[in-house]
Amino acid sequence: MGGWRWMARRLQILLGKEGAEREMDEEIREHIERETELNRSAGMSPEEARRRALVAFGGVELHKEQVRDVRGVRLLDDFIQDARVALRGFLKEPSFTLAVLLTLGLGIGGNVAMFAILQGSLFHALPYPRADRLVVGRVTWNGEIGQTVSGPDYFDYVDRSTSFEALGAFTPFELRGTLTGLGEPERAKTMVASGDYFEALGVRPALGRTFNAEEAVLGGPQVIVISHGLWERRFGSDPAILGRTATFNGTPYTIIGVMPAGFRLMLDTDAWLPMQRGGGWAQARQFHNFVLVGRLAEGVTVARAQEEVDRISASLAETYPDTNRNKGLALTPMREALLEGYRTTLLTLMGAVAVLLLIACGNVAGLLLARGSARQSELAVRAVMGAGRGRLGRQLLTESALLAMGAAVVGLALASWIQRGVLAFVALERLGPVEPELSPAVVGFALALAGFSVLLFGALPAVRTARADPAAGLGSGMRTAGSRAGTRFRSALVVGQVALTAVLLVSAGLLLRSFDELRRVDMGFDPSDLLTASVQVGDAEFPDLPSRVAFFRTLMERIRSIPGVEGAGMIDRIPVRMSGGNVRVDLPERFGMSGVFGQLAYQRSVLPGYFGAMGIPLVAGRDVAWTDDAGTPRAIVLSSALATAIFGSDDPLGRTVGIDAGGDEPVVLEVVGVVGDVVVGHPANGTEYAMYTPYTQRAGTLLGLAVRARGDMGAVSSAVRQALREMDPNVPLAEVGTLEGEVARVLSSNRSIAVVLALFAATALLLAAVGLYGVLAYQVARRQHEIGIRIALGARLGTVVSSVVWGGVRLVALGLVLGIPLAWWASRLVREMLYGVEISDATTYGAVAFFLAAVATAACLVPGLRAARVDPVEAFRRE
Amino acid sequence: MTARADLLQGSLDLLILRTLDLGPLHGWAISKRIQLLSRGVLEVNQGSLYPALYRLRDRGLVESEYGESEEGRRVKVYTLTRKGRQALGRERESWRVFSGAVEAILGTQ
Repeated sequence: MGGWRWMARRLQILLGKEGAEREMDEEIREHIERETELNRSAGMSPEEARRRALVAFGGVELHKEQVRDVRGVRLLDDFIQDARVALRGFLKEPSFTLAVLLTLGLGIGGNVAMFAILQGSLFHALPYPRADRLVVGRVTWNGEIGQTVSGPDYFDYVDRSTSFEALGAFTPFELRGTLTGLGEPERAKTMVASGDYFEALGVRPALGRTFNAEEAVLGGPQVIVISHGLWERRFGSDPAILGRTATFNGTPYTIIGVMPAGFRLMLDTDAWLPMQRGGGWAQARQFHNFVLVGRLAEGVTVARAQEEVDRISASLAETYPDTNRNKGLALTPMREALLEGYRTTLLTLMGAVAVLLLIACGNVAGLLLARGSARQSELAVRAVMGAGRGRLGRQLLTESALLAMGAAVVGLALASWIQRGVLAFVALERLGPVEPELSPAVVGFALALAGFSVLLFGALPAVRTARADPAAGLGSGMRTAGSRAGTRFRSALVVGQVALTAVLLVSAGLLLRSFDELRRVDMGFDPSDLLTASVQVGDAEFPDLPSRVAFFRTLMERIRSIPGVEGAGMIDRIPVRMSGGNVRVDLPERFGMSGVFGQLAYQRSVLPGYFGAMGIPLVAGRDVAWTDDAGTPRAIVLSSALATAIFGSDDPLGRTVGIDAGGDEPVVLEVVGVVGDVVVGHPANGTEYAMYTPYTQRAGTLLGLAVRARGDMGAVSSAVRQALREMDPNVPLAEVGTLEGEVARVLSSNRSIAVVLALFAATALLLAAVGLYGVLAYQVARRQHEIGIRIALGARLGTVVSSVVWGGVRLVALGLVLGIPLAWWASRLVREMLYGVEISDATTYGAVAFFLAAVATAACLVPGLRAARVDPVEAFRRE
Repeated sequence: MTARADLLQGSLDLLILRTLDLGPLHGWAISKRIQLLSRGVLEVNQGSLYPALYRLRDRGLVESEYGESEEGRRVKVYTLTRKGRQALGRERESWRVFSGAVEAILGTQ
């Protein structure tokens, strides 16, 4: 603080300099007048009295100057003078100035961009009142945090806990529904939420109300709360919306509320449906579909609430051992829960840009040193003319400070571009829109970085240059004194830059390798040339199974007759795009034996032809068939690893399995076929257990369409859309895409962090290469005379070139020796983002070393070849 | 800055603080008072008084404000602050130690 006061005072003095001067003049005049009067009263003549008074005072101007000095005005005057000299110097050397501003501006810009993103996300204010009281509740299995909590468990937590002001639940995945009536059918994103969900978040509807207790029971009124966006888009912001009807999936719902604009948690939602005790999604304890959100009661800590919740979990485990053994609930502060996964990504990128800034500072320090030695004679003249060492150093620091300020401005200008680029790659959708802005904190950060870089790149060159011996500087032009130490310093800079670049390259390399591994995961099906979409029929128009089956069967026939289509099938959840829906399955006789029963497997409902269309091989038995219907035994097709897990080496065909569907008895099905294993969710999870039941025996509503086709996918998809529209204009074809695109989308977060980091690493490499080039080029220029002599004495050109290149390669080798262990140490940060690659991956390190060495050698070759072109005659003549 | 200059500067500060300890004064009066109190031995270079005063004011040891002199003229009057009084106590003590030491050395010769 003292420093600020000092600055403020100095500024005040400088700005109010007129006033201060007048004050001082007055005071001194007063003094001299009094002295004069005193002398006159002693009997002197007026002239003599005044002369004596002035002599006694001793040089009015000198003392005024001393007063100014004491008051620090001098320092600021000096600064302004230095700044003027510096600016003139910069204008005279535009390429130097531009190089510094761009290099440093890029470094600062990257940091400012990441800082603003971090600030907008990590320190992002959650858009709920008193958000620090909010916790997220997720299930734990044997203490490990899973995702979703079961509905009945949730109601028990609500009934038995006292730690929460409100404890709500919501479905944390996209539930798509078809909104009909009012023109074109539209696919809308819905969420099932308890009434307490809104209360816990503390957000009141903009219109109407949210769910009440009466609506939270099975068979309660069909009501719906809609989003502000849907209200505007679909209902023209009708102020009399309450009580109107919205038809979802063929069922009419009464609109009871409209949420305010921008209200969301984790997902964008168009409409909320009430969670009902015992209703859909919450029928049984073994179905886990909800994430809880709680608002802690006043004075309750997370730890205390967790204790209470643990007690409830323990008592539930006692009452319901079959479903709740080893099950618990973990409470996490909401901010922390939302940031999981992002934190590492953001911190890694922040670390990367910080390293980038260090490398940039290295280059700028190198440039300043080179400029400093070129100015040796100018500075020597100034030293001889009486400028103190401190004064010269101060001037050089002023120059650095001005450069840094300029770079900060350039950096702030670049920051928003860099930001947009990074955010385009690294989506933070769970947090909602992150809009980094140029807040005072961000500007302050840029200035602080500029100040920090001045110390980093400016201080040492300033000291070094100012300390150089003026006699040497004047004596022999610009080729000698002070340069040896300067060269050593610049070499050290290059070594450091190479080491830091190696760190970034290794991290980027590991992530790229990891992405490549993920891309090459065997999915168990062929994702290329596969068109996917979803088709959902309304409950009202297609009330029973036969009507739906008939509809889909015709649709399949029509699609298969489209030219270019090689196969078509349907499944309730397309792999990779939608996971979830796993239940326990095992031999029926093991049902009820807790701890023994159950392989957890994804249950899917399919139409005949799905496996063929996807390219999933049939290992044994048969595909599901149109003839599997209400009249035949319920059939099931197992994935091959699941079949082995249940039946061992026995033949599973014709045997039965039981599925735990939440009732007292298992649902028993007959195994009719075995198919290849597939990736169901994220490719990083590998293939997982799956089982397929015929849609023809148990209907659902949403069905994913998979069409394998040759040729133009666009033409095929419009032909499919056309076929569907001809059959029923009220059934929309939605989410049209390719499975390849879906896989790419799922892997995009892995890809983007790798790409962004690779871009940063490439920038670092470029800067380091430029730094290396600068040092060698400078050395060659300095040694021109010596090289000229050597060539004149008959040195072979190869020897000359290799002596220069060798000097550079030695620096690079040293940098690598330091950088590789550093990179290994730093790569721990990215470890949790890696898949299938160890942090000590030899391929990556080898490739980085080779690549860095290759680029560096290229950077050395240019000055090396220039050395070979030195004309001895020319070199001597300069002397 | 040489050691000699520091010593002189330091002692001038001490003398000013001591003078103001007796009551608020304006610049010229301070120089006269120092002369008087030292029985005419110490002739303060009048001009150098002002840089010292400004320095003391910047360090918060004295305060200045405009007041009226006995003759009704507007003058700038300096007052010792609490911080200044404390500094005087310290400086006085260390000066005594210093001068005592010098005295002891000179006395033994």
